Amino acid sequence: MAQLWPLTSDLFHEMNLLDRKLLRDLRALLSQALAVALVMACGLTMMIMTRSLILSLNTTRDTYYSQSRFADVFVRLKRAPNAVRAQLSAISGVATVETGIAMQVTLDVPGLDLPAVGLLNSIPERGEPVLNRVYLRAGRLPFSGTTRRELAVGEAFAEAHHLRPGDTISAVLNGTKQTFHLSGIALSPEFIFEAPPGSALPDNKTYGVFWMPYKELATAFQLYGAFNSVALTLAPGASEGAVIAAVDRLLAPYGGRGAYGRSNHPSHRRLDDEIRVLQGLSIAFPLVFLSVAAFMTNSVMSRQIALQREQIAMLKACGFSNAQVGAHYFKFSLAIVLVGTGLGGIGGILLGHRLVGLYHLFFRFPRLDFLLDTRVLVAATLVSALAAFLGVAGAVYRAVRLPPAEAMRPEAPASFRPALLERLGAARWFSASFRMSLRNIERRPVRSGLTCLALALATAILIVPNSFRDGISHVIDFQWDIVQRQTVTLSLVEPGSVRALADFRHLPGVVLAEPFRYVPVELRAGPVTRRLLLQGLADHGILSRVIDAHPRQLTLPARGIVISAKLADILRVRPGDEVVAKVLEGEERELAVPVAGLAEDFAGTAAYMELSALNRLLLEGDRISGAHAVVAADRWEEFLLAVKNTPRLAGCVVKASVREGFRQTTAASIGLLQKIYLLFATIVAFGIIYNSARISLSERARELATLRVLGFTRGEVSAVLVGELVLLTVVALPLGLLLGSGLAAGIITTVNTETVRLPLVLTPSNYAFAVLVVALASALSALFAARKLADIDLVSALKALD
Amino acid sequence: MPSPATTPPVSTGNPATREPVFQVRGLTRVYGGGEAAVTALHGVDFDLFRGELIVLLGASGSGKSTLLNQLGGLDSPTSGTLRYRGRDLGAAGEHELTQFRRDAVGFVFQAYNLIPSLTARENVALITEICRDPMTPETALGLVGLASRLDHFPAQLSGGEQQRVAIARAIAKRPELLLCDEPTGALDVHTGITVLEAVERINRELGTLAVIITHNAILADMADRVFTLSDGRIVSERTNTRRGLVCDLAW
Repeated sequence: MAQLWPLTSDLFHEMNLLDRKLLRDLRALLSQALAVALVMACGLTMMIMTRSLILSLNTTRDTYYSQSRFADVFVRLKRAPNAVRAQLSAISGVATVETGIAMQVTLDVPGLDLPAVGLLNSIPERGEPVLNRVYLRAGRLPFSGTTRRELAVGEAFAEAHHLRPGDTISAVLNGTKQTFHLSGIALSPEFIFEAPPGSALPDNKTYGVFWMPYKELATAFQLYGAFNSVALTLAPGASEGAVIAAVDRLLAPYGGRGAYGRSNHPSHRRLDDEIRVLQGLSIAFPLVFLSVAAFMTNSVMSRQIALQREQIAMLKACGFSNAQVGAHYFKFSLAIVLVGTGLGGIGGILLGHRLVGLYHLFFRFPRLDFLLDTRVLVAATLVSALAAFLGVAGAVYRAVRLPPAEAMRPEAPASFRPALLERLGAARWFSASFRMSLRNIERRPVRSGLTCLALALATAILIVPNSFRDGISHVIDFQWDIVQRQTVTLSLVEPGSVRALADFRHLPGVVLAEPFRYVPVELRAGPVTRRLLLQGLADHGILSRVIDAHPRQLTLPARGIVISAKLADILRVRPGDEVVAKVLEGEERELAVPVAGLAEDFAGTAAYMELSALNRLLLEGDRISGAHAVVAADRWEEFLLAVKNTPRLAGCVVKASVREGFRQTTAASIGLLQKIYLLFATIVAFGIIYNSARISLSERARELATLRVLGFTRGEVSAVLVGELVLLTVVALPLGLLLGSGLAAGIITTVNTETVRLPLVLTPSNYAFAVLVVALASALSALFAARKLADIDLVSALKALD
Repeated sequence: MPSPATTPPVSTGNPATREPVFQVRGLTRVYGGGEAAVTALHGVDFDLFRGELIVLLGASGSGKSTLLNQLGGLDSPTSGTLRYRGRDLGAAGEHELTQFRRDAVGFVFQAYNLIPSLTARENVALITEICRDPMTPETALGLVGLASRLDHFPAQLSGGEQQRVAIARAIAKRPELLLCDEPTGALDVHTGITVLEAVERINRELGTLAVIITHNAILADMADRVFTLSDGRIVSERTNTRRGLVCDLAW
């Protein structure tokens, strides 16, 4: 430390004199420069964080996909003999084929009183899978052929239940309950997003992925020598569409449920959606913050240049060129940019690390590291330097254009006129100091307007995360109070006869049960197709209901299909239009059905039909996939015990548990978002008010000193100083609420994906919070700046202007 | 502190028997410390009385501005006493000094110091809004002959008019003390005389103690008493038996 001072002091002497002036000027304007740098840092933090996260996710995903040989095309089917595998390999354009078995079963997890759903995937008897290779986090893959039955468990489920290799878990396989030892904890590129297909958020308590040796899984389901799941890669240059068509033709007789590419793969698509959201954020927010920072740079530099008018004239009179003088002031703003970029870089890296940690809740990679996008760091510096340059260019141009002789003279006194409000006749109600504020605002309309706009933006960015929070809470209430009113959803391994309903009704505690039938279909309208589960529901059901946008329960018609409003958008159909439903289970059939209505929903897309109408169309007789049921609270334990021991059940989903999982996961991410936006809004409001107050203080120093001499107390002079800012804030707040509502609506529209949608919910408490935060930050900032009034030299007011 | 409005009418008796408004004894002001210390006032003594018109003469650097700052409650003495109606201003805190300026002092600045965003009427109203027993802005502006320029902004007024607005602003509160710092410094003779007439009229009609600080010796003729400052000391004090007419002044 002792060495440092002489060193910096030497450096100081080496600098050219203009730069030395620059350093001293900067020191004098330190707090204002810092306020600008902080606002700039907010924008850069967002930019660096989001771009780096996009890079991290993309890079990690690509590496993971290639190392684990993630497939290109996927298909489920009922059953095909292993010999068909060769036929699949022979399809032109197919490079590698992996076949196996995937089965959904009910689990009994120690410590979890409700049954969970497990997806069991087979692994080859010998060697590793060719495609979709499993990555082991702990332990080993399960051995085959031992008396000890073994499973490997997916990491998310294992973490949710604190499972470790060696622990045991029970599953009902084809009617027989079996106990397994966990051999290891694993990850797979197929389950980066480890959740049931179509869900927006993971529910790791009640849904898990497992791997077990082919022979045992196949034997349990009488599928030995056959497969029901295919993954394949495409040869270079092969057409995905052509391969999918050929695969579908080949597998149709084996109950093929329709092949799909990566873009329709649930886990892949969820990750894609996330990256898209990040891409949106990486542009919009930095743009807002950098614009505000450019404006602030402009006002600080304009004032600085006005104060140094005579110095500029002197420099020019002494022979400095316009370019040298311009460069001097540009360097000034560049110093601010460097501090802003530094802070933004640190902020982006820290926040990026936090978010990577949060992503672990959603996306499971062998390793997800935060990768700093260095190109964006360079781009960010250039962008903010450009913003600063634009901010300073006008002021410098005006200053250097003045001939030195003219610049040496003080600026002409300002002329004023009555403000618009007064001209409209409201004058007599205004005090003199209020009139000063009004006229000052009107005299500098651009500056006042931009200050107002910046404050409005600070208010607006607070509206956004809270409207997300309120939207999610609305979705939760909508989904689980209005749409789904059952306690549990019980599903059968295979669609069964309606007699199963009677069995469900006889389970202990079941008060009410309504049947449903799920059929995988491909809906087609014109060139657009979508695969989903068509839900057959009881007519006038009171448990799982179809609700429209109003929200009213829709009556399912005897003919026709009700689809999600979002799905109607995608398929570009309206009620009355026809869609073609291709049944992807059992015998392949195509049915044209009219769209009878549009349903409101927020996660995934859905299609509904009246149960008996659906069964008539399927020509299968009265069959059901399961039932929604209400269970009496006092017989809950008894019910769960019975369910865990019911062989034919593939799953029992407890609504309350799904709801709670959803709430917790969203709370974690929204909570972080709220904190970030709160911090940023406070910085902008504080920074903009602080700078405005300081500039006003500098411009009106003489006026304010005069008031003090005339007997105004410091408080009264502060009121005159901040009156203008109070007025601007009062205008900015409602404007900000309006802007924030628009911003929230805009973001919700761009984030409106097939997997996740949010309704726009704007509550009075959201507005009140935003107003309160910005008003408070502004007030504190104004008070902070007004402390500088104590430094005003009263005697200076008496001095004559030279 | 008695309000100027409630003080008794001007006494015309011998100054020695009257109670002084200001009592100044050994007033010393030193700026800075150590070797760089500058003594701006060296133990000044004088009394000022109600209804007097005082001219403080001095070249620049003589200490007259320092003295004005002391009288106006803008600065505190290093030593000595400065009593206003028996109260020690030297010991007063910031709040008390602000109250003193607000209630008792009217300032007229060399550079007028009007608020550019307020009209003549509003510049006066700014002060009348905060004091206890003001005259209306219109009355104050009428006293300085600006009844027809009420709604003009400073940028629309001549220098002399601006200075008269400043005087109206200073007297609207009915101050006990009117402090004028080079009030004609920036004005030509003709305009300067109009401004001084306004000061003289206020002093005569309202009984306000007026102190004019100037380097212009010609102004001495309009005063009751003239102090000459040099090097921080009062080097002479002269009493005019009869005040000259402002309109007879010429420089």
